[in-house]
Amino acid sequence: MKSGSTRRTALVTLVMLLPGLAGFFGLFFYPMMVTVVRSLRPEGVQVGWTSEHYISFLMEPRAREVILLTFVLSVGATLLSILFSVVLCLVLRRKPQGNRFYRLTMLIPRVVPGLIGALGLLLLFGSRGWVNLFLIEFVPFIDEPLSLNYTVPGLIIFYFWLYFPFTAVTTLSTLEALDPAIEEAADVSGANRWQILRHVVLPLIMPGILAGSVLTFMAAFGAFSIPLIAGGNYRPLSVEIYRQINFTPARWSAASARAMIMAVLQVAFLSIYMRILRRPVV
Amino acid sequence: MTLLRQYLRALLNARKLLIYTFLLSFGLMIYTPFLIIVFRSVGRGWFGRMWLPPEYTLDWYRWAIEVTDIPGITVNTLIIAALAVIMATVIGIPTGWAFGRRRIPGKELLMAMILLPRMIPPIAFALGVAQIFYRLQLIDTHFGVALAHVAVCAPYAILVLSATFEGLDERVLEAAAVCGANTLRSFFHIVLPLIFPGILSSMIFTFTTSYNEFTLTLMTYGKDTVTLPVRTYLAIGEGYWEVTSAMSILLIIPSLVVLFMIQRQVAPEKLVGGFKGV
Repeated sequence: MKSGSTRRTALVTLVMLLPGLAGFFGLFFYPMMVTVVRSLRPEGVQVGWTSEHYISFLMEPRAREVILLTFVLSVGATLLSILFSVVLCLVLRRKPQGNRFYRLTMLIPRVVPGLIGALGLLLLFGSRGWVNLFLIEFVPFIDEPLSLNYTVPGLIIFYFWLYFPFTAVTTLSTLEALDPAIEEAADVSGANRWQILRHVVLPLIMPGILAGSVLTFMAAFGAFSIPLIAGGNYRPLSVEIYRQINFTPARWSAASARAMIMAVLQVAFLSIYMRILRRPVV
Repeated sequence: MTLLRQYLRALLNARKLLIYTFLLSFGLMIYTPFLIIVFRSVGRGWFGRMWLPPEYTLDWYRWAIEVTDIPGITVNTLIIAALAVIMATVIGIPTGWAFGRRRIPGKELLMAMILLPRMIPPIAFALGVAQIFYRLQLIDTHFGVALAHVAVCAPYAILVLSATFEGLDERVLEAAAVCGANTLRSFFHIVLPLIFPGILSSMIFTFTTSYNEFTLTLMTYGKDTVTLPVRTYLAIGEGYWEVTSAMSILLIIPSLVVLFMIQRQVAPEKLVGGFKGV
């Protein structure tokens, strides 16, 4: 009797899990498997096995450049986000005038379609954009417009603009959950402002910062639309993949092999990051 | 005026000045890209080193409306987002319930698996999705594009809803049973009101995800299912910056309206996923 009812409970659980599992296997796992199989097929045919796409890509000297570029862009944007978010959150935590407005401002890059943001950034940082006008006007020794668009530093700024909210939101919520009594205790014990920040606040909010920055990193690593329109000659992995299927005839197998390399790199990096974090992060 | 007063008071205190300069530049950093799009879309003859366009015109908007089917694209985007929300919610509710209320062996691992589509770059499985959808002739259908979006939307929904169901207090249900409510009654009068905020935030979450999704749309769209992000991308490729700017302003309006409606319902942090470390 009892085993019958537990079996029924297990069955109900399984049935309820089915939609999620169906979605996962049908929309993610199966397409992923198609990509894997495709990457091992010779170009343009459905039979036979080969690993030439992996080998030829990895042997290319450009492959190292592409992978390095992808890492430089995402790590650069992540570091910039962490630095900026920590300062921003420390400021916002004191609830300065208009802090509600700035809190909403923080979310703008994530809720507005990213391509429109990128268009604005391209206009803003262009040779005739406001940033260059400002630099020429007010900064000595700069007389010529800097070329920021379609360069690596420019791309890092774009990535940062688009993906810093992940870091900032998590950092802010961790910071606000911090008990002020801890800082007061440090203050009473004679620590100065800097010491409190360096030895008390920062270590305590570190998990939040890391959890947020891993989201920024993932978004930046997989970024596709931004480098597609703003990358120029700099093509990170995602754009490199897309370029393969835009050839005529489309090189689906070459694209799939690159996609697999990208996925493996991302998972590898994530597992390193999670080991540092020592807790599950999504 | 308030800004001026802010500045005067800030001058009294250097530290305060520093803080407000920082916040102001932060605000400028976020809003100037949009401001410059607005100026570009109404300016004529804006060449060389000029801060503002010399002449103003609405011609670019007329052009933009002529070359782009703005209402059509908005409707496409909304239909696809609505379908994606419905499918993700239908998947999310039972699965979230099982995750939140039942003991499942290897739950952590299973959850990590469900969330995998969020960790792998979308372009990786978008390649597979495109090939499968070509075979099934789902390319260029609203349903097909929405279905592709579900791959990234459903994990969000499951995550949010499982947290919701987990938070449901068993004692409240027992109290309802003690008071004589049958299963149906307790579901409609107790469970549903309690989980409704969770369902709502999951729907909003999936809606914004689908609304802004670009990679999966680019791989599955056709001429009848052009969405807002894809149209912006195509317009940027066309290279007429003035018309592109005008088009972006027109295309951004519906998303701002939706945002405005949303942010009165839910804490805006939810849109970025500011909960449970996500």
